[in-house]
Amino acid sequence: MPIFGGYAGGIEETTIVDIATHLNSIVMSSASWHLDGPVHIRWGSTNTRETLTIAGWACATISEFTDILSGNQYYPCAGPCTEMCLLEASAQSITDTASGREILSGVAAAKGVVQDKTTGMEARMMGEVARATAGMDIAEVNGILDKLVGLYEKNYASAPAGKTFQECYDVKTVTPTEEYVQVYDGARKQLEDLGLVF
Amino acid sequence: MTFRKSFDCYDFYDRAKIGEKCTQDDWDLMKIPMKAMELKQKYGLDFKGEFVPTDRDMMEKLFNAGFEMLLDLGIYCTDTHRIVKYSEAEIWDAINNVQKEFTLGTGRDAVRVSKREVGDKKKPIIQGGPTGSPISEDVFMPVHMSYALEKEVDTIVDGVMTSVRGKPPIPGSPYEVLAAKTETRLIKQAAAMAGRPGMGI
Repeated sequence: MPIFGGYAGGIEETTIVDIATHLNSIVMSSASWHLDGPVHIRWGSTNTRETLTIAGWACATISEFTDILSGNQYYPCAGPCTEMCLLEASAQSITDTASGREILSGVAAAKGVVQDKTTGMEARMMGEVARATAGMDIAEVNGILDKLVGLYEKNYASAPAGKTFQECYDVKTVTPTEEYVQVYDGARKQLEDLGLVF
Repeated sequence: MTFRKSFDCYDFYDRAKIGEKCTQDDWDLMKIPMKAMELKQKYGLDFKGEFVPTDRDMMEKLFNAGFEMLLDLGIYCTDTHRIVKYSEAEIWDAINNVQKEFTLGTGRDAVRVSKREVGDKKKPIIQGGPTGSPISEDVFMPVHMSYALEKEVDTIVDGVMTSVRGKPPIPGSPYEVLAAKTETRLIKQAAAMAGRPGMGI
């Protein structure tokens, strides 16, 4: 996972490293696919403006000049059952889908470090947004992303912790709570307002 | 100059024992940042705030910069503290012969992973799951079932059990092995309970 703000430095420099690591995966390991995941050194998130840019440019470039198959990992700042978490995952799903990514792998909500803070609902959003994005004009995609990231990028330091799986689902029936369904609908409505057609 | 044979992981192992010596600090703090900065300037890379690129010339410059970084620097082996170098022909041989598609899962639940393009109309594969997040032993199965029950999800990427039979899966202990085997069994069970026994994991 290339780190923005790490040893390589800024956006362009980290993307150069990301391209090199894609190429290395097939030289060193004869890999079937490369699992990417540019992450922000300060926020531990893959959904920031900088890391999305790195992922978008790296994947589009690899898609354009090679046949390498590429995936991306999802680490939003916010936890499950929050609109911010779903919007963060959506921004990455839009970026990945539009840039030619083959596999979307996630979502490790709450940066993937808090026990039991992931559920199937975040993956549903990742999938629904990918379906809505596939085939969209790239200039339109960039416009939506600019507004979408603007909705949450001031809140990394105070990202909502969200709820555990046990609080988000009826564990016996494996069904999301009414509260989470409403939160999901709220996030979906915001995405529709930005121009995404489900 | 052509290569003697296609490069593989055994060649990597051999070269990792004889490559140029380098400290990890020198690699991390000098070689990587200096080369990244040099290549950004050499190729005039500027993404101009775009998330997904529309400038094909700039993408080509980026590709050449990434290729040059791998060719010039190679890969650092943290076990042997040596650098593994590839020739230009070896890198192109790998690029020209990548696997263009493969299958994840079995039977009616199998999905085909195949190349997509920028702006492709085809939906990517959705690999749903905790992606390495810590998951309690008592809800490990239902957490993964919550993904398998979603029709948008094609395959599962698993979480990590925080305990097995109530004990932490300490690396190097038998519980680590038991946890790994239990994770796989429970995820397969979760997929089967969701009516998708052949889902790729």
